[in-house]
Amino acid sequence: MRSRHFPLWTLLGVALVVALVVGSGLLSSSPPTAAQRASAIESVIRCPTCEDLSVAESSAPTAVTVRATVRQLIAEGRSDQQIEDYLSARYGSSIVLDPPASGWSLLVWVLPVAAGVIAAGLVVAVVARRRRRGTDVLDADVRGPSTDPVALAERRRFLTQSLSDADAEYLAGDLSDADYLSLRQRDLARLAALGPVATSADGPGAVTAGTPGSSELSAVSGATATGTLLDDPDRVAGDVDARVEPSVDLTDRARRRGRNKWFLVAAVGCFAAALALAVPVFSSHRLPGQSATGSIDLSPSQQVQRSLDQAAAVENQDQLGEAAQLYQSILDANPDNEVALAQLGWLEYRIGQQGASTTLLNDARAKLNQAAVLNPGDYAVHLYLGTLLLQLDGNAAEAVAQFTQFLADRPPASVVAQAASVLRQAYLAAGRPIPSQIPTV
Amino acid sequence: MTDLATPPAPPVPPSPPPTRHTARWAGLLILVVAAGLIAVLATRPPATVSEVQNPLVGHASPRISGTTVDGSTFSLPAVPGKFVVVNFFASWCIPCQSEGPNLVQFNFEHQQSGDAQLVSVVFDDSASNARDYQAKLGATWPTLADSGGDLALAFGVRESPSTFLIAPDGRVVAYIVAPVTAADLDQLIARAKATGA
Amino acid sequence: MNGTLGHIGVLLGFAGAVVGIVVLGVGLARGRTNTLRGGQVYAPVILLGGLVAVVAMEHALITHDFSLSYVAQNNSRETPWLYSITGLWSALAGSILLWGVVLGGYATAMVWRFRKRAGDELVGWATLVVYVVSAFFFGLMLGPADPFTHVVGAIPADGTGPNSLLQDNPLVLIHPPMLYLGLVGFTLPFAFAIASLITGRLDEDWQGETRRWTLFAWAFLSMGILLGAWWSYQVLGWGGFWGWDPVENAALLPWLVGTAYLHSVMVQQRRGLLRIWNLSLVVAAFSLTILGTFLTRSGVLESVHSFSESTIGPLLLGFFGLVLFTGVGLIAWRGDRLRSAGGIDSPISREGAFLANNLLFVGFAFVVLLGTVFPLLYEALNNGTQVGIGAPYFNRFFVPVGLALLFLMAVAPALPWRKSSVEVMRGRLAVPAAIGVLVVVVCVLAGVHGIEPLLAFGLGAFAAASAGRSLVLSVRGSVRAARVGGASTGRAALSGWRGFVGRANGGMVVHIGVVVVAIGLAAATSYLQRGTLHLAKGQSTTFAGHTVEFVGTRVVTSPSRSSFQAVLRVDGRGMFYPAVTQFGAGTSTVGTPAIDSGWRDDVYLTINNIPQSSSGSGTTTVWTFGVVEQPLVMWLWIGAGLIGFGSILSAIPGRRRRPTDPVSAPVSGVAPPPDPELDRDTGSPDDASDDRLPVGAGDAP
Repeated sequence: MRSRHFPLWTLLGVALVVALVVGSGLLSSSPPTAAQRASAIESVIRCPTCEDLSVAESSAPTAVTVRATVRQLIAEGRSDQQIEDYLSARYGSSIVLDPPASGWSLLVWVLPVAAGVIAAGLVVAVVARRRRRGTDVLDADVRGPSTDPVALAERRRFLTQSLSDADAEYLAGDLSDADYLSLRQRDLARLAALGPVATSADGPGAVTAGTPGSSELSAVSGATATGTLLDDPDRVAGDVDARVEPSVDLTDRARRRGRNKWFLVAAVGCFAAALALAVPVFSSHRLPGQSATGSIDLSPSQQVQRSLDQAAAVENQDQLGEAAQLYQSILDANPDNEVALAQLGWLEYRIGQQGASTTLLNDARAKLNQAAVLNPGDYAVHLYLGTLLLQLDGNAAEAVAQFTQFLADRPPASVVAQAASVLRQAYLAAGRPIPSQIPTV
Repeated sequence: MTDLATPPAPPVPPSPPPTRHTARWAGLLILVVAAGLIAVLATRPPATVSEVQNPLVGHASPRISGTTVDGSTFSLPAVPGKFVVVNFFASWCIPCQSEGPNLVQFNFEHQQSGDAQLVSVVFDDSASNARDYQAKLGATWPTLADSGGDLALAFGVRESPSTFLIAPDGRVVAYIVAPVTAADLDQLIARAKATGA
Repeated sequence: MNGTLGHIGVLLGFAGAVVGIVVLGVGLARGRTNTLRGGQVYAPVILLGGLVAVVAMEHALITHDFSLSYVAQNNSRETPWLYSITGLWSALAGSILLWGVVLGGYATAMVWRFRKRAGDELVGWATLVVYVVSAFFFGLMLGPADPFTHVVGAIPADGTGPNSLLQDNPLVLIHPPMLYLGLVGFTLPFAFAIASLITGRLDEDWQGETRRWTLFAWAFLSMGILLGAWWSYQVLGWGGFWGWDPVENAALLPWLVGTAYLHSVMVQQRRGLLRIWNLSLVVAAFSLTILGTFLTRSGVLESVHSFSESTIGPLLLGFFGLVLFTGVGLIAWRGDRLRSAGGIDSPISREGAFLANNLLFVGFAFVVLLGTVFPLLYEALNNGTQVGIGAPYFNRFFVPVGLALLFLMAVAPALPWRKSSVEVMRGRLAVPAAIGVLVVVVCVLAGVHGIEPLLAFGLGAFAAASAGRSLVLSVRGSVRAARVGGASTGRAALSGWRGFVGRANGGMVVHIGVVVVAIGLAAATSYLQRGTLHLAKGQSTTFAGHTVEFVGTRVVTSPSRSSFQAVLRVDGRGMFYPAVTQFGAGTSTVGTPAIDSGWRDDVYLTINNIPQSSSGSGTTTVWTFGVVEQPLVMWLWIGAGLIGFGSILSAIPGRRRRPTDPVSAPVSGVAPPPDPELDRDTGSPDDASDDRLPVGAGDAP
């Protein structure tokens, strides 16, 4: 039996380890991206206005603010601990869902581990102690058998019951031959170590020969346990195994083992078939970037596009501040993304105009110029630059230059229509004819 | 050969094994720990009464500046030179509504003496709602919109109403997380003055 | 009138308990069996008192009798009848009433079951303990938690209505009663444990006799906890179903200890081992139910559930102390007599596995208790500074413990009693292990990543296959037994159904249910994706493999609620309506999520932001929706159903045989000579060993 199962288990072990190593991504691990770090930190920061939710899970406005702050701090290059400290300095240490590993709260980490170690240690110690002192004597009688007749009777009962129990287990095939013999030997030795049964005190505690109703078993266990052994007080306990015979014929057990093999082959075959069917079925309905479990693994460019769409939608909702933050976060992850740069510049211009902030307006100008350098063919940048030049500087000539480039970049008609009034203004102020593309307002 | 004349020595009765009272010691230990736990649980006040500690108290306050709900900007220097009461509120928050008239009274009292400035900050609410609310209240002091929630984060605000008292040198000296009255604020200012703020 | 009737009911229950205590006390002190028998009659009196009070309260709720302050605070004229009925347990005082009536029911059932042994001193003590607990809870209702107090001043025309979250979903009808049926049920095994400790009759199989009651209580507690998770998933709006909330933990703690007890008591029944463990587990389980009641009702911890009421806290805490001191004190006193003569023969045996099981469950219960109570301790020791312990802490310990438990669940059903060896186990577990490894390989090939979920899937498959193996063997054994008994092949095959009932087989079905829950849990928490969708009307977008289209909005009003709903079409098929709902006349609104449940994943939709109507610039208004996609959430609820089903199967009596007969004896009870010709495969000795009485039972002590 051992030789048949051994290669199987080795194969299973190897397959499992390989699969786990591949699946856990150990081979292809890279340092966590900013998004992964943000997600990890967000799941341990409590949402300030909720009960028991992390900022990752909550949609409350305070949670949104905290998430944005976390991303900003990551972009600034702070470590995870520094970010947690930053938030704790403002909200108090209870903002972190994980207790700090210092001071009294170290207890909450140490106690469970210590309890586990102590429990494991106790178990190991008990097992080792038993093995050391040998198991011929019952636990309760380690220091010598009790003289109390009630206790003695209880122990005899326990041992006799254990013997017949072992017989039944062996009959059913649960105990191997070696295990059965060793258990039997040990319990008989223990019975012997209890001392001779004092016949006068044998009243209610008398050992019944096995258990009623199973005549065959009682003959076996009763005979060897009580009859032969205890009749001869000179027989040393160590001689037991010479006299112990297993009570059941061993030959029929070999027959059963052959059947397990077919069970195994059938199971493997079924699962191979299921695998052959399942993988094509699950892989057929996937969207690009989606794995079989349905999770989408977008490529970086797809992720960026999705973020840009979101930011644009927020901008359309006139939430300039939030849109600006979203664009900023895109820029932090992708400093060369010209679209985000241009949009952010434009937003800064609008916000700067609202609040009359010269720093913002200067920064807007710088960003838009930079965006124009990065992608001269983007019509939006030229439109923004032109508007800025016209409205802020009053420089109609430069504005017209930008607008000409804007029109040359083939913008969609709807955009031209929207910008029509500004365009006309610039051309008129510069004294240039209005191009035909611009619809009459 | 055994000597038959000498009687065999009487059998020595085995000494009873010493009893180990493991169960009693373990039980005692468990009971002591449980007693400690019960003592702690019994003496702790219910959660609704106690205040949340704010780590800002005693430290420099964050810069108070930003856009108001009317669209203009407002900012205070880092060392304001007078007491500043910063009140975080929302138009839907019922305790804030009960606090509003108290703030009006406080503002009126200190506008003349000029020793305290009241600033309201919108928390978890829209600027337009807050503007209408303040207008209805008759508030004449600046109300910052804090649309991104950054000021609330800087102050560590978790609920409304939250009121901070900032001393003239820029340190946060008090934090109240319940509706305040003008008398409460005056008391706090007096206490801060007495301790040399 | 309702109030008076209610007061009468509560008084009746309290009086019944107190008189019962006195009568039984006299009977026990004087040793009079007739007095003891007489004392049993007070259990139905307690039940009757509780029922009268419940009827009075329900009548008041349904007829909107606002003269009672409880009704005025938890009911209103617009409240639908369903939520009026559930108003009984929506708040503190009513929940104590529910506890009291359930306890009365259990007391009556216990008295009925043991009526033939009513003169027995041990039964008398157990009934006394149950009366003491009843007296406490009914006494609470006479004092601080009185549900029938009258409104001070004028009777209001309309009540404030129940808490919005409690009238959002019909599950509120089932979850609390099931939870209470579970929690209160642990009183019975506790009572018997105390009784056997006091009388010193520790060899008899009281634990075994009350095992079916414990299983009943455990099953309801499991269902209650899982229903609570389902309810919170459907109502709370954050997309999760378990937050390690203090109140959730309060129900989980007795469950953990109770599960350990259910398994460990099998060892005691079979060989009389682990007695101290079992008594300690039972005392701990009941004490934890009282501690949990204290934590959730005293306002000490704020959470989604807590009824904050400060006067009841010290009383519950005091009762907890009393229970704990009595239980632990008695065990410590009797401790040395409790030791069994022998020990576990080998670590590789079912006894060893159950001991490991005990250690794991108790260890994890310790972690949960520590995490729940620690913030309070910290604050007390540190002058008010607070510390937060949330889900990340608990999950960190839950994952390794859960994986270890899955492994034990896989190995233990194949483990024989007494002693085994690695060779034997290798032989038995080859097929289940192969299935487990195959599942991991298939998952990795299909693109699943992450070591923890992969281990969970693999070990789960291993455990399910091992349970399946046990069931197959058990069915074959039943068929064989029928054939031996003389049935034809067809009839014998049909009687294979017996392989599914009985303690061990029902337990295997429960294990399969637990594995399904574990797999759903691992998938949902490891692969969830959260996002926000910004959609204008008519727009659609994709998220995590699903398309979501914002079709429009609608408003649904009813007398008790008005709900502003967004109509979303998911995947071009179903319409879902996340909403912002306002209940009654109050201005507070709650967000109601909409869930598209499927076999592969759930799409969870909430409204995060409705744009203000005054946004200029002519662009279409954009709504913000929260979306959470979680795979295999449905499996959680299916697994819950399997656990319930398995518990029912477990309660159906299995093959009856005389307890001491060998395993292969047929059902009729006549022991045949062992026949080597019969296909006696590695049978499951579990069924026989279930009913085997431990050492000494039946013998005169």
